[in-house]
Amino acid sequence: MIAASLLFLFPVIWMLANSFKGDAAITADMNSLRAFIPPALGGSFLNNYVSVITSTGFVRYMLNTLLYAFTLIILGVIVNGLAGYALAKINFPFRERWLLIIMLLMIVPMETIITIHFLIIAKAGLLNTVIGYVLPMIVNPFNIFLFRQVFLGLPDDIYEAAQLDHCGPVKYFFTMVLPMSKSVVATVSVFTFLGVWNDYLWPSLVFTSSNLLTAQIGLNAITSNENTTMGQTLAAITMITIPVILIYSFFSKQIVEGVISTGSKEG
Amino acid sequence: MAFFGPALVLLTIFLFLPMILTLVFSFTDFFALDPSLTHFVGLENYFRIFRDEDFSKAFFNTVRFVIIIVPLQGLGALGLALLINKMTHCKKYFKVAFFIPVVMSLAVVSTLWMQIYSPEGILNAILGFFGMTAQPFIKSAKQALPSIAIMSAWQGVGYQMIIFLGGIQAINPALYEAAEMDHATPWQKFKDITLPELKPLCVFVLITITIGAFRMIVQPMVMTGGGPSHSTYTMVYDIYETGTVNWEIGLASTMAIVFAFFVMILTVIQTIVTRDKEGKHANKKTKKN
Repeated sequence: MIAASLLFLFPVIWMLANSFKGDAAITADMNSLRAFIPPALGGSFLNNYVSVITSTGFVRYMLNTLLYAFTLIILGVIVNGLAGYALAKINFPFRERWLLIIMLLMIVPMETIITIHFLIIAKAGLLNTVIGYVLPMIVNPFNIFLFRQVFLGLPDDIYEAAQLDHCGPVKYFFTMVLPMSKSVVATVSVFTFLGVWNDYLWPSLVFTSSNLLTAQIGLNAITSNENTTMGQTLAAITMITIPVILIYSFFSKQIVEGVISTGSKEG
Repeated sequence: MAFFGPALVLLTIFLFLPMILTLVFSFTDFFALDPSLTHFVGLENYFRIFRDEDFSKAFFNTVRFVIIIVPLQGLGALGLALLINKMTHCKKYFKVAFFIPVVMSLAVVSTLWMQIYSPEGILNAILGFFGMTAQPFIKSAKQALPSIAIMSAWQGVGYQMIIFLGGIQAINPALYEAAEMDHATPWQKFKDITLPELKPLCVFVLITITIGAFRMIVQPMVMTGGGPSHSTYTMVYDIYETGTVNWEIGLASTMAIVFAFFVMILTVIQTIVTRDKEGKHANKKTKKN
């Protein structure tokens, strides 16, 4: 089983090992087991990384993506969380109808409407702006539904007690509901982060200006440059993968729970 | 209602409006670079895309992709979940190992596998080591789509493995204990307990993989540009190019509607088929008893 998992991960191991080598060494090692072993520590060990960091805008693209991700996590938790709370706990006209609509929206593939998103953002003059990139991605029917399912289980007597203390519904939501639901907030945040960090199609449509590129689009710009070596490409894709592996190792519980919840919900 | 307001505004602008516009535009020849020329053309776009060589090619590529990836990824995930479930220690390590590609981005995985599949790449070096001839992989019209399918299955299999593991662990252990009292073989236990108990989950997994396959675009965009000779062109790729490169929003909207229709029809068909089987299965059981 250990052998099987190593065999399964051979592309990742190869990527990591060769990201520290020059192209001549990568080619020379290709026909032996050395292809999967990093070179000896030496002066040139980090060369690929240093050149990617110093001679391309890659660090900037990664910081951009980080900023977009945090913006979308905050806005997404607020907007989708409030909507989920309304659907779970507040009586408003056609609430059950809205819940059904949200559930139906979950099955609409985003690719169907991405052309129109592009058209709307272009017509609004928001191409190549952070706002144009962020705006269509805030609301997410799946997250609304997820929040709603969790908030449904919150006891009502806490809310009644809070009302006696003159705690309004907005204050109650931010000081009580969200802190009581840390687990779902964490799940939504982690999935939002992974979604933004790994997204390719939407940022490739919105951003053409090199200052605002996300890491994935920046990667494309770097690899399509003829002067980029194979070692540099491997170093760049390793750098782009490190944050998601870190997130995964810190939040694997949330990720696994999130994955299983999508399975058990419909299964 | 105030709580629902922000979401409602965004849902209206970025989901309801685009959906309605897509439907309306699909009956027009809306060309975004010169909107003044727009006419209502009825069903003409719908007839046109079915005659359109690129779109039918994209459709059949998508179907081929589904046929390759669904059994590969589905059986792979089930097999891995069963193996890991049997492990007594280091379960966590294996779960992590097989899940790593899932968190990597499609663009990264595609860039990485481009190097792996390259004519002088590591995969051909390995084939050479075993005395096999070098393969062109993504450089050939014949092998490009299967190559991308294998890569995509590799990337996604950990996700469904986790779902299956959750399902296996949720099976009532009393069922296995009872089977052991009856001296059931491991295969009987698998066939009569594990598989039936996992059935709804299997359906769910097959549907997710199929829908994921239908939505494929990033892999060919990064690796092949849809080629060689359109062999990796997909429906979403055609929507993307028609709409955002050629600005033919009317035609792209028609394709998007057809795409959404297929995705939904597929979901419905799979649900009906499994419901049928479950019915038959139940009948068989009662007959035996």
